[in-house]
Amino acid sequence: MASSTLSPLSRADGSAQYSFNGYSVLCAVNGPMEAQRRDELPEEAVVDVAIIPATGIAGVTSKHLESIVQKALRQIVLVAAHARSLIQITLQIIATPESDHQPARLHQSFSSIAVLPALLQASILALLSTSIPLCMFTNLTSVAVGANGDVALDPSVEEVDAATSLHVIGFSSQGDLLIAESEGSFNIATWEQVSDIAGTVCWGDLTRDNGLQVSKFWKHELNCESTLRTKISQWYSKSTG
Amino acid sequence: MAIKPASGPTPLGASTSATSPSPSTHTLSFPAQTFAKLAPIPFLHAHLTSSTGARRPSGRTPSESRPPNIHTGSLTHTSGSAVVRIGDTAVVCGIRGEILLTKDVADWKHPEISSIPQEENDGTRRKRRKTEADEIARLNLLVPNVELSTGCSPAHLPGSPPSDLAQTLSHRVLTLLHTSQLLEAAELRIWHHPSSSSSSSILKPQITEPLSTSSNPNNPTITTVEGFEGGGTGDTDGALVAKPQIKAYWTLHITLLFLSLDGNPFDAAWCALLAALLDVRLPRAWWDADLENVLCSPLVSESTRFSLNGLPVPLTVGVFSREDEQGIGGETEKKRAKWCLVDMDGFEEGCVRETVCLVVKGEGDSAEIVRIEKGGGGLFGRGEMRELVGAAGRRWREWKALLDGIRGDGSGDTDMG
Repeated sequence: MASSTLSPLSRADGSAQYSFNGYSVLCAVNGPMEAQRRDELPEEAVVDVAIIPATGIAGVTSKHLESIVQKALRQIVLVAAHARSLIQITLQIIATPESDHQPARLHQSFSSIAVLPALLQASILALLSTSIPLCMFTNLTSVAVGANGDVALDPSVEEVDAATSLHVIGFSSQGDLLIAESEGSFNIATWEQVSDIAGTVCWGDLTRDNGLQVSKFWKHELNCESTLRTKISQWYSKSTG
Repeated sequence: MAIKPASGPTPLGASTSATSPSPSTHTLSFPAQTFAKLAPIPFLHAHLTSSTGARRPSGRTPSESRPPNIHTGSLTHTSGSAVVRIGDTAVVCGIRGEILLTKDVADWKHPEISSIPQEENDGTRRKRRKTEADEIARLNLLVPNVELSTGCSPAHLPGSPPSDLAQTLSHRVLTLLHTSQLLEAAELRIWHHPSSSSSSSILKPQITEPLSTSSNPNNPTITTVEGFEGGGTGDTDGALVAKPQIKAYWTLHITLLFLSLDGNPFDAAWCALLAALLDVRLPRAWWDADLENVLCSPLVSESTRFSLNGLPVPLTVGVFSREDEQGIGGETEKKRAKWCLVDMDGFEEGCVRETVCLVVKGEGDSAEIVRIEKGGGGLFGRGEMRELVGAAGRRWREWKALLDGIRGDGSGDTDMG
């Protein structure tokens, strides 16, 4: 069950908190603002992403996640609209499902890609709260495939531990495959099946009618879109009422 | 010989290499290198849309990768080393085995090790590999470090702190080592067989004496077992030193040094690591109870090599499109022309935003995939992935032929002596 809050921080230009599947991420966005002379790009905005882990200081894992998130957000933000400026996105991981009982498990068997959906979802909500124009939207989901081919959507820590492969797949609102990170041991047929399921979960029956029961997989009861709908209707009723 | 002027790095007039820029280029001619610097994306696009077939500025076709080149064992002070060269990208990998004593590990628990059954089925093997991978990860037995600040390219100045790229590469190498379960923890453990030690011979001289005289010094494990059995049946004191214990682990310090960087750093780094791992020889090591330390055998004939769990080989592809600009209001036309550039060089990496990296352990449709990393755009879709698996399989075969050669000819024990 996902929950999200728009603009929880008062001093950032925009912010959002997104919690789902044990992960909770707080995102602050500042910008568009002046970029340092040596960083600025003549034709587009610089998207700068910083990820702070739940415990400890940012290390190589954070750097790797930053590069994935940065690449995705650069596609999503309309960077050409703010040439030579800087959009700074700071993501603080507040909670991870591991942090309760097994603090040292983070680096085992799979790397930290399972946190990606929460990171991207939080940053998109925060970008919207900053009123930065975006050219698309994205939804991500994580899928774990077990030894006998059983598929677990938004897997728990135990399901990830038992899985032979873990996949994080994100589709844009135009139906393009924007992010695909998979680890473990699998073959192309498994991956195609997983990407079909992920497509169905992310954007309903957008990809194709593959006979999947959407409701069976639909656990994103409160995804980004519904958060925005509620928020907009609240604002609308406030301004008219 | 239908080689169009676009191929080859020789400076050519832009008017001949580019088909479509403005008509005025016929009068205003400047070297191709200048064109490439001023407008890299149109330059690459002009090559790919050339009337004589798509060729990249390097003269390769989009699906052609640069032939790799491996040289192993050049560093004598390491346990194993390799130099891998792909085009102008060259990486040196050195691996050094160091000993980690279990008494130095905070809250170390002896792992439950059941003997491996003769015929292991898929399920139990998977489970064992997983627990062993966890053991390696928990103890940090593999320590890769990627060094880019060697002046390998103008973007990486010597003496600067590790760049974002270097840190990302280190992390990707480390996680792939863990998730592909390339090494088994069993090969990194250093055991102590209690009854073979001299302390037990003091306790039970009447049993170990005849054994030690008859025992073969090269084969102490056999005397161990016999001595233990004799002690166990003859006296209850022997039961105190019953079980063999893990006293230490080999830690592999893996250093990847880029001598020169011209694109595709991950593929080069990973294959250098694979080649170096195949080259590694670790000496036979055992725990000496008197010295309370690990001793290593100087005999090359007793040294061991790793048996790797398959050969995971990466293939990185860039997806290039001229119309890189984002459509306002989501009105991007679906039929944007795109090219998948296999094994990009440095110039192409500067023009491409979307990359896909696939790591496979075989070829064909049922090939085992170990990792997929895709990001930076939405041009490469679900359908293209199957084609890429085919391309990665062909690359896998190419690397396998080279990597198999490392042990094939270099089996002579004289290398190390």
